[in-house]
Amino acid sequence: MTENAAPVIELTGITKRFPGVVANSDVHLAVKPGEVHAVVGENGAGKSTLMKILYGMYQPDEGTISVDGAPVEFGSPRDAISAGIGMVHQHFMLADNFTVLENIVLGAEPTSGGRLDFGAARTKIQEISDRYGLGLRPDRMVEELSVADRQRIEIAKVLYRGARVLILDEPTAVLVPQEVDALFENLAELRSAGLSVIFISHKLDEVLQVADRITVIRRGATVGTVDPQATTSRQLAELMVGSELPTPETTESTVTEVVELAVADLRICSDGERDLLSDITFDARQGEIVGFAGVEGNGQSELVEAIMGLRKPDAGTITLGSQDMTAWSAQDRRAAGIGFIPEDRHRQALLLDAPLWENRLLGWQTKAPAGGRYWIRPRLARQEAAAIMTEYDVRAPGPDTMADALSGGNQQKFVIGREMSTKLRVLVAAHPTRGVDVGAQAAIWDRLREARAAGLATVLISADLEELLGLSDTLYVLLRGRIVAKLDPADVTPEILGGYMTGAVTANGEAAER
Amino acid sequence: MTWLLQLARRIAPTLVALVMALLITGVFILIIGENPLAALGALFDFGDSATAQANSIGVWINRATPLFLSGLAVSIGFRMGLFNIGVEGQYRVATVIAAGVGAAIVLPAPLHILVIVLVAMAAGAAYAAIPAVLKTTRGVSEVISTIMLNSIAIGLAAWFVRSPFADPDLGAGETAATRPIDESGHFPGLNDLFGTLGLEEPRRPVHGFVVVAIVVGIVMAVVLSRSRFGFELRASGLNALAAAANGISSKAMVIKAMLLSGALAGLVGLPDLLGSAHRFQTDSFVAGYGFTGIAVALLGRNRPGGIALAALLFAFLDRAGPRLQSEGIPPAAVTIMQGIVVLSVLIVDEVARRRLRRREERRARAQDPATRSEESAAQPEVSS
Repeated sequence: MTENAAPVIELTGITKRFPGVVANSDVHLAVKPGEVHAVVGENGAGKSTLMKILYGMYQPDEGTISVDGAPVEFGSPRDAISAGIGMVHQHFMLADNFTVLENIVLGAEPTSGGRLDFGAARTKIQEISDRYGLGLRPDRMVEELSVADRQRIEIAKVLYRGARVLILDEPTAVLVPQEVDALFENLAELRSAGLSVIFISHKLDEVLQVADRITVIRRGATVGTVDPQATTSRQLAELMVGSELPTPETTESTVTEVVELAVADLRICSDGERDLLSDITFDARQGEIVGFAGVEGNGQSELVEAIMGLRKPDAGTITLGSQDMTAWSAQDRRAAGIGFIPEDRHRQALLLDAPLWENRLLGWQTKAPAGGRYWIRPRLARQEAAAIMTEYDVRAPGPDTMADALSGGNQQKFVIGREMSTKLRVLVAAHPTRGVDVGAQAAIWDRLREARAAGLATVLISADLEELLGLSDTLYVLLRGRIVAKLDPADVTPEILGGYMTGAVTANGEAAER
Repeated sequence: MTWLLQLARRIAPTLVALVMALLITGVFILIIGENPLAALGALFDFGDSATAQANSIGVWINRATPLFLSGLAVSIGFRMGLFNIGVEGQYRVATVIAAGVGAAIVLPAPLHILVIVLVAMAAGAAYAAIPAVLKTTRGVSEVISTIMLNSIAIGLAAWFVRSPFADPDLGAGETAATRPIDESGHFPGLNDLFGTLGLEEPRRPVHGFVVVAIVVGIVMAVVLSRSRFGFELRASGLNALAAAANGISSKAMVIKAMLLSGALAGLVGLPDLLGSAHRFQTDSFVAGYGFTGIAVALLGRNRPGGIALAALLFAFLDRAGPRLQSEGIPPAAVTIMQGIVVLSVLIVDEVARRRLRRREERRARAQDPATRSEESAAQPEVSS
């Protein structure tokens, strides 16, 4: 890395206003050649707007962009591309029914004498692939490829167009851990070849691992640029939030002796050789938060679906209080007082194209007073939606606002408000704070703690180990569809937990399989 | 005042679309070398004499009623993203069975009609149950199965009319038909009403079933907006996954929606059967309402009020067909115009909807600049 080289890209005093908001105000960013420069900030802090300005999709209201020390103005992404800036979007823009080669050249087709010249393109792509270790196979159809492969195609696309500066917008959001490692190796190759990478993320651990320098953005303004060697993820988070970080720790135990939800010998078979879930047995008592840790895809979704009645177990029983509810429909379970915060709020929790008051009814449409056996009462549903908005600090114009118009954090707060504003017996919460900014996260944790103190039995599934350790009273680890450990969160560190989750540590003695 | 403004805002795009459709059709008529203004005149020409005008209005009502019912039937499925293309077959089967059963029984007048209506609804629902069961148990696409069942319905109706319900009194060479329904099963026409209103009475019967259609429309409007079923139907259509995750069984919804759609489809053939035909005859049976109903439902944005307006518009254009022909303009111009109306309304509505959405996002963002979603900020003026 060239320590004192002149910046290849420099943004000075960038300000961008949208009607009603200032998305960026006086932002400064300097990217040197041959560095991975991370830009971090909460959701809505203005990272994406800034990158869109750099990529020519927006024009700044104030401030200048310089490339190699010379000021430039980008009217469109085309200008940015010709200046050597390329962007890999979070959502890939590839044609599934084209080959890798065709996708890479699409929009910049090589021609010779008016005809497409794939030969030259193939050589160039092979060269790029070898040089940066992308491992592309030009003739594969994109539809056959994994997400990580597609991301590499996007990177190759940008390199093919001669980019010297690559903007990666939340590139790890779609990847599994192994793929993240592979991506970081690719980034290292790019860096050593003298290219610059702007890495946008809010996953602080990754940023600390991969970046040479980190610029923190808060509420549209740059807070500062820090050296990852001298910064902890906690300090970084505090820079992002601008205050002391909330912690998920629960205060004192509120666990009672009354078992509210009992799962016994639950099993879900699959077509494959291994069961999706086998021999799952656990209790959730009133006032207890039962956490489930595990690498994603180890049976968490199936467990949630089985409890909610969305998937029929092949064996085992699920008991609510003293009633066996194994055969109940999903509707019956909701009506009996089981709240549900699904892992993917867009796909499972909300009607994006419907107003908030209709979303208030969703899942509770049979529950009086707003819902009912035969009729719904829109007027009451509106009142209830308005009440949730005040109580859970959902910022939106009113109950008639479309759910889609809200930011992710507000949507999630609304979903949580919806579920918790009914008298619940059990709450099943999957990743309740995923994709939510730190402020909303603290509010959601508070709500879960309050409900726990009021005697709610909660099943918590999360990928955020700090959240699991901080909130849970009892912690189980799922690995390949089995409970491999029962732990007391008070004396477990994230490292030990990680060991159980990957199977590196096997439960010995006290934490054997139940 | 504000609601008036809102109403204006809601119907303005549709009006713009209608004018656009009119202009585009005008261009078509110019291309085939006829006078668009003459065509426009013919479109609004209800006839010279008072009787002719009354006849025209009668034809309009008689045409609009089944279109409205058919559009309503189609819209039930559309609301949850279910494409019941089979209204055509459902109403054919329902009409022949209702005609057969209606002729076989004699009851006091209102009861006789009620039984025929219920039989038609039950038959339509039963025929619609086939694709519903196929879809829920075997995953067969309802689009494919309903289209195929439409063909089967033609054969089925032909068999019904020849075998179990055939009129034994028909002479040789006469088209197969069911026995005529007894007087008590005739739905009173609206012709007298024209007289009461001081108009000439139309020569041909004006189907009184339109009153039933209006009642059905109102009931459906209430059911769709105020009932749990209506809500669940809408939720399933907006986001099937979220609906399922929140306890709305998608299989149950498919069955319920198809049965209701089929039951409404069963009504489509009744204005004609009860009002003027009084028997099912393969040749004089008016086919095609089921298909046109799809366009009517689309145009009416799946809302009963909208569907009513769409049905009136379609019937209005249909009615003008013969008159256009006398101006030397092929009646196909009507079909072209109907197609263009649907397209332009859908396009303009979509544009208007997006603008509205963006406005709303801006308002939501203004409430909460701190946690504004980044995706929505990217919505305007993106050009990559």
